[in-house]
Formats: sequence, structure tokens, C-alpha cells
Amino acid sequence: MKKLLMTAIKTSISEVMETMFFLPVEFGREATLDQCGMDKKNTMASQLAFTGDFSGRLILLAPRNLIAEMAENFMGEPRRNLTEDYFSGTLAEMLNMVCGNALSKTKSQIPFELGIPQMINASEVSENEVFTIVETFDAKMAVLLKMD
Amino acid sequence: MSYSILIVDDSLPMRLVIKKILTAAGYGSSEILEAANGQEAVELMKNNWVDIVLTDHNMPVMNGMAFIKNIKSDELSKDIPVVVISTEGNASKIKEFMDCGAAGYIAKPFSAEAIRDLMVNILGDVNYEETFDDSNKDFDF
Repeated sequence: MKKLLMTAIKTSISEVMETMFFLPVEFGREATLDQCGMDKKNTMASQLAFTGDFSGRLILLAPRNLIAEMAENFMGEPRRNLTEDYFSGTLAEMLNMVCGNALSKTKSQIPFELGIPQMINASEVSENEVFTIVETFDAKMAVLLKMD
Repeated sequence: MSYSILIVDDSLPMRLVIKKILTAAGYGSSEILEAANGQEAVELMKNNWVDIVLTDHNMPVMNGMAFIKNIKSDELSKDIPVVVISTEGNASKIKEFMDCGAAGYIAKPFSAEAIRDLMVNILGDVNYEETFDDSNKDFDF
């Protein structure tokens, strides 16, 4: 089930990134944050819990610069006009759209219920967690699916 | 023609995006009200006339479903059209929204055209050939 859901999540990431943020993506190898060279200090992170036929949470990490670019593309506003709330809101909304879209692609008996996206501190993410790496033009983000 | 449009979404960026799409679609002269959840929207509607509501579902305090039920149970607001804009794409969930009285549903991620087309279908008389405001070129129809 996890593998099936992860495939749906990858499809949804592509759809959301292209439709809402105008950034095409490719999926790289699975890796820890250290292995893929992501600097936790300049990284923002958000997580979203879901319940239904199966339950878990989706965690998304992205560097601040990429989030700023996504926010600019999403809202059509230069980053100098956007406050921190817009950046964290963009990451949370990206996660919300990806999770909802992916879960709707699964054949579930019970409709899934999504939680509210929560911003988390990237430094709290374990060094040993293996993420799916999502690459854009010159940046990458990391996504992790944890099943309960 | 101008309207009073209420956007209900806990996402600040999403409210801004929808507002920009409405402006680009010819609703620039309309009054656009915002609320971050259903409860805020209920309070706001006590003191403001609203022609149409665009609401998310997955929000803290009061979610979209509870908000629609609230609106539809009130004699003064039961006829106000409510469009759900949400990531909840499950068919049974969408049916539940429609059974509660939603006038339409748009799945996130959405296109600007999806919002414009549904607004035109519900409000009826916006001729976007004449009223299209091209001052915001971020959203091409």
C-alpha cells in the first residue's frame, strides 16, 4: 500500500508543481538529507496527517529559496512583497494539495480525512530518514511518507 | 456588474491567488471579503451581504462542510450559492458537499479557467469578452 500511495504522491507532486507553481520536476534517487546535500538551516518543513483506510503523515522539506520562487510563481508577486507567512503558507498549501490529490487517486472504502498542515523545524527530522528527492531546475526538495 | 464575493480558506496564499483570478476574470469591481475558517465567515456574514461564497473544506475551527450546513440552515443565507474549492477529490466526499447544498466543486490544483467558468455559470451575466481586465497578466485564460 505504501508503494502504491507513493506512486500517487509522485504523480500529484508533478501535477501540483506544474499547474500551480509552473515548475516541472523530476524524481531523483532516495536519499537522506545529508546524502542529497540539503542544508537543514535554510530548509523549511511541513507535515500533514491523514486518516482513512490507512493512516499516516506526509512530510515535505524544501529550501527557502525554492519556496520563495514557488510563492512568486503561485501568487504572481515578487518575493520582496511577500512576508514569511506567505512562504510558510505556500509550503503548507503545496503539501495539502499533494496529499489530498494523491489520496483521491487511491481506491478507498472510507473517504480520507486530512489534518491541517503544520510547520515543523527541519532540524527535528532524523538524520537517518530516507526521503524521495524531487528535483526542479536548480533546487531540490524532499518528501517522506510515514504510515502509522 | 459588481458582486460581493466571500473567499473562505485558511491559506493566506490561496486567498490571494483566488482574489487575483477573480480580478483577472472580470470581477475586479466586486467587493471581495476574506475569512480564514467557517466560523470567521459566519461572523462576517452577519454584517455583510454576500452574493457568492468560495470555500475550502479542510480548515481549523469550522471546516467547509460544517460551514455549508450552517449557511443552508439559516433562512437569510440559505439561497447564497457556495462553491467548494478543496483538495478533497473523493467522489463520495464531493457528493456529500453537493447533498449539503453546494452549488459547485473545484478540485485543487485548479486552473484559473475552472474558477472563472463556474463563477460565470452561477452568477450568469459576466461577459468576460468585454470586462476582461488584462492588468494582471499572471493568469492567462
